[in-house]
Amino acid sequence: MRLLALLWSLGPLLWQLHTSLLPPEALVGQGPAGAAAWTLANYRLVLAGDPPLWRSLLNSALVGGGTTALTLLLALPCAYALQRRRGPLAWGVGAALLAAALFPTVLLFLGLLELARTFHLGNNLAALCLPYTALALPLAILLLRAAIADLPPELEDAARLEGMGLGMRVRAVLLPLLAPALASTAILTFLFSWNEYPIALTWISRVDRLTLPTAMARLAGSSVFTVPYGAFAAATVLGSLPLLLLVLVAQRWIVRGLTQGAVKG
Amino acid sequence: MAPRLSRLLRRLFTLLAAGLLLLLPAARGAPTAAPVIPVRVLLPAPFYDATVGALSDFRRSHPGLDIELVRGPLDTDTIADLAVGSLLLGEAPYDVLMVDITWTPLFAAAGWLEPLEPLVGEGVLEAMEPGARAGNAFDGHLWRLPFSGDTGLLYWRTDLMARPPRTTEELVSISRDLQRQGKVRWGYLWQGRQYEGLSCVMLEAIHAFGGRWWNPALGRTELERPAAIKAAALLDGLVRDGISPAAVAGFAENEALQVFAAGEAAFLRNWPYAWKVIEQGGGPVVGHVGVAPVVVAPGQEAGGTLGTWGFALLRGSPHPREAAAAIRWLTGPEMQRRLAVEQGYAPTWTALYEDPQLQKAAPLLKAQRAALAAGPLLRPLTPLYAQLSDVLQRQINGMITGQTAPAAAMAGAQQRSEAVVRAMTGAGG
Amino acid sequence: MSELALDLLLMLPALLLLAAVFLLPLLRAAWLSLHASSVVTGLVAVPNGGANWRRLLGDERFLQDAWQTLRFAGVSVALELLLGLALALLLHRPSRGRGALRALVLLPWALPTTVMALGWRWILNDPHGPFNALLSRLGLPTYGFLTTPATTWLATVMADVWKTTPFVALLLLAGLQSIPADLVEALKLEGAGRLTILRRLTLPLLAPWIGLALLFRLAQALGVFDLIQVLTGGGPAGSTESLAVYAYRQALRFLDFGYGSTVLMATFALLLLPGLAWLLLQNRLPRRNA
Repeated sequence: MRLLALLWSLGPLLWQLHTSLLPPEALVGQGPAGAAAWTLANYRLVLAGDPPLWRSLLNSALVGGGTTALTLLLALPCAYALQRRRGPLAWGVGAALLAAALFPTVLLFLGLLELARTFHLGNNLAALCLPYTALALPLAILLLRAAIADLPPELEDAARLEGMGLGMRVRAVLLPLLAPALASTAILTFLFSWNEYPIALTWISRVDRLTLPTAMARLAGSSVFTVPYGAFAAATVLGSLPLLLLVLVAQRWIVRGLTQGAVKG
Repeated sequence: MAPRLSRLLRRLFTLLAAGLLLLLPAARGAPTAAPVIPVRVLLPAPFYDATVGALSDFRRSHPGLDIELVRGPLDTDTIADLAVGSLLLGEAPYDVLMVDITWTPLFAAAGWLEPLEPLVGEGVLEAMEPGARAGNAFDGHLWRLPFSGDTGLLYWRTDLMARPPRTTEELVSISRDLQRQGKVRWGYLWQGRQYEGLSCVMLEAIHAFGGRWWNPALGRTELERPAAIKAAALLDGLVRDGISPAAVAGFAENEALQVFAAGEAAFLRNWPYAWKVIEQGGGPVVGHVGVAPVVVAPGQEAGGTLGTWGFALLRGSPHPREAAAAIRWLTGPEMQRRLAVEQGYAPTWTALYEDPQLQKAAPLLKAQRAALAAGPLLRPLTPLYAQLSDVLQRQINGMITGQTAPAAAMAGAQQRSEAVVRAMTGAGG
Repeated sequence: MSELALDLLLMLPALLLLAAVFLLPLLRAAWLSLHASSVVTGLVAVPNGGANWRRLLGDERFLQDAWQTLRFAGVSVALELLLGLALALLLHRPSRGRGALRALVLLPWALPTTVMALGWRWILNDPHGPFNALLSRLGLPTYGFLTTPATTWLATVMADVWKTTPFVALLLLAGLQSIPADLVEALKLEGAGRLTILRRLTLPLLAPWIGLALLFRLAQALGVFDLIQVLTGGGPAGSTESLAVYAYRQALRFLDFGYGSTVLMATFALLLLPGLAWLLLQNRLPRRNA
């Protein structure tokens, strides 16, 4: 069973890895592809391309980092306030957030494109963080609110009695206790931003500013003749490695963050 | 555990914030302190690769000017998305855009292009082959200068037959014989994927039977006419009878080229670039490939689809004059001579076709001139072209994959094309 | 400052950004859907009195795409729930190397859709992909998986199931972990078998999580875009085109923003369906975490 699950999940990836290591001729040539010697030519090709793939990896990392930071920065106060409130206001905001979290982002691309044009936000990686943050916020707020709800309320009351101000309470009590939830929210946000396609497709048109998903979809072959599947595969592997590491390291937090949250929304 | 983690997170935060700050100045675009005026040009990857080597000549002959080529994606549809995306953003980071012949009316109607005639003169096209002049002007203005005079061509195997077929019937019977003798696996390869290339193939087929796709005077399509139905039946029959593989339904230019270059077929429909690619590929057919006009029905006359790219000036470019100079050079005789020799692209300038030296260096020249003289086929010159082509591609691809019969496919194409025209302009049909 | 004012102030930045990114585009699309805005009008919005909506109702392609989108969403989400549940139960069982197994099984979900869509295109390639290589080694003719409507559709479903089953499993795993272990033990002591426990205890307690996964996946699948755009481009012959891809085409390929917005709004209306279903479901099921 376990083996089957692993094979199903990893099979296609391993095939991409295999493809990425074959010389282009072996991919389309006659004879058994398995017999050809492995080569790093495809990796050299995508890394030396114009623009080089590391450029879009870097772009994606920067946008992912910026989005994650901004999301946590905005989500935490909102979740904190939302958790303290009762009544129709909090309920309404919570319901709207849930609806927004479920909303497929592709329906927004046209309006967002016009926003980008009106406010000259196109081709700007820092500006791209804004819609990304907004799209990640609903889930982030809901997860953090659930995590805050799980904290014993006496803790904050005690801190308040000690005469700690809000800022102090946040730093000394809230943040350390929320660290696991913050970590899992950060990871989910980063993953979302790393993978987002429709908005990047419409907001970024400069070749050197492309994020990974758009750069991949636009990867050009070195010649008209070869359909560059080897290069595609190499780019896939390079684009997956950071995520593989992230998921390996953070798997526990992802599950825990979701356990705390979600359904309570 | 938890406090240490929070410290880690805080440090991470600082790092990210710093990274974000670093982004800001970069995002504003580098200032151009140098006195050299750069003209930025977006073009598809293959054309970038073909032209980038000659740039040093331009810098030598145009002091104070520079061309910055931006290598776009390979595939036409993808580069269309990229170009449209950057134009919609309102601040296209390019001065000059390489446009396909079918985009010109759309981009002009959208107000994205600057008319070229004030910058390059009214008569600039007159020194070109008549066939190459078409498709560059729309609504009374010149919007682009053509990069090449490429038309659709028939590639045939000189080792398998003495002369190329002239009619569709000949092509079919030669293919059958060769397949029966086991000399080739397939007869005829073409582009059948649901994309722009299929529209080009279909346009050639419609004209091969004496019909036309678009009636510009009435502003309506003529796809329900007998000629169009015969054209559809031809493509359908090629697949049904096994002269073309069922896989053509997924073929673009490159896939068809690969199978032909591997020696598996007798005929290939493709653009001029294919010749050099085949000759340099080192496959089994090298030295055994000839080029001829596309086949037509007996008694008909027609050229191939005009499939040229060209350079257009984007509205809002800060230095239109310099950009126009760059366009002149990129489409000029020296560039075209080079491309004819190195890539096999068809020139547009008449003088180049008459140059005996070039005739020797570019053996395709004669066939290319003949194709241009035969009156190459223009796809509908209307801003609605993208919709019309999309309708046709869907219907024909559906027919090739066996979902509809030719007559029904064309009836559907006509009806849907009329619906598009009606919805967009409130007229037609 | 009053507590209320402080709380509002804390919420404000997030809510403002959300309003700008969610509400503005939606309102704009609703407005544009009542206007002609295309190359014919020079990209200027001109009111056209609902002509877009009338066109939509008679647009065979829209109806076809709507049906295709519903079919895609229905089948792939059903498969994802089934497989996701099985996967979650598997991952919940304690075993050696469970953490690593969870991480590896989660991986497909973490990868960009566009990246793997390209991967699938290669894997299903005719004749060079592994499936076809295997076929030709067995002496069978190769098969154009991505040139036949039926198999292309299956390929889109498979790619979607491959990518999002881990996500469903993750949600359900979180649900499984919230089930108190002593309840399971108690049932075991009563001599209940594994199937009985699953039916009597696990599934009822998991219901809200299943509902959430269903809702989330349905909404996302009805808006499917990346996967179709990169894997098939909507082909062959438009047989895999989704509503979102159609809307994108209308706007960015044809430069018809009025009609593109209309298609977007219609897709939005379609999305309200699972939302309503969820509300009904919510009223049926007792809420656990009140």
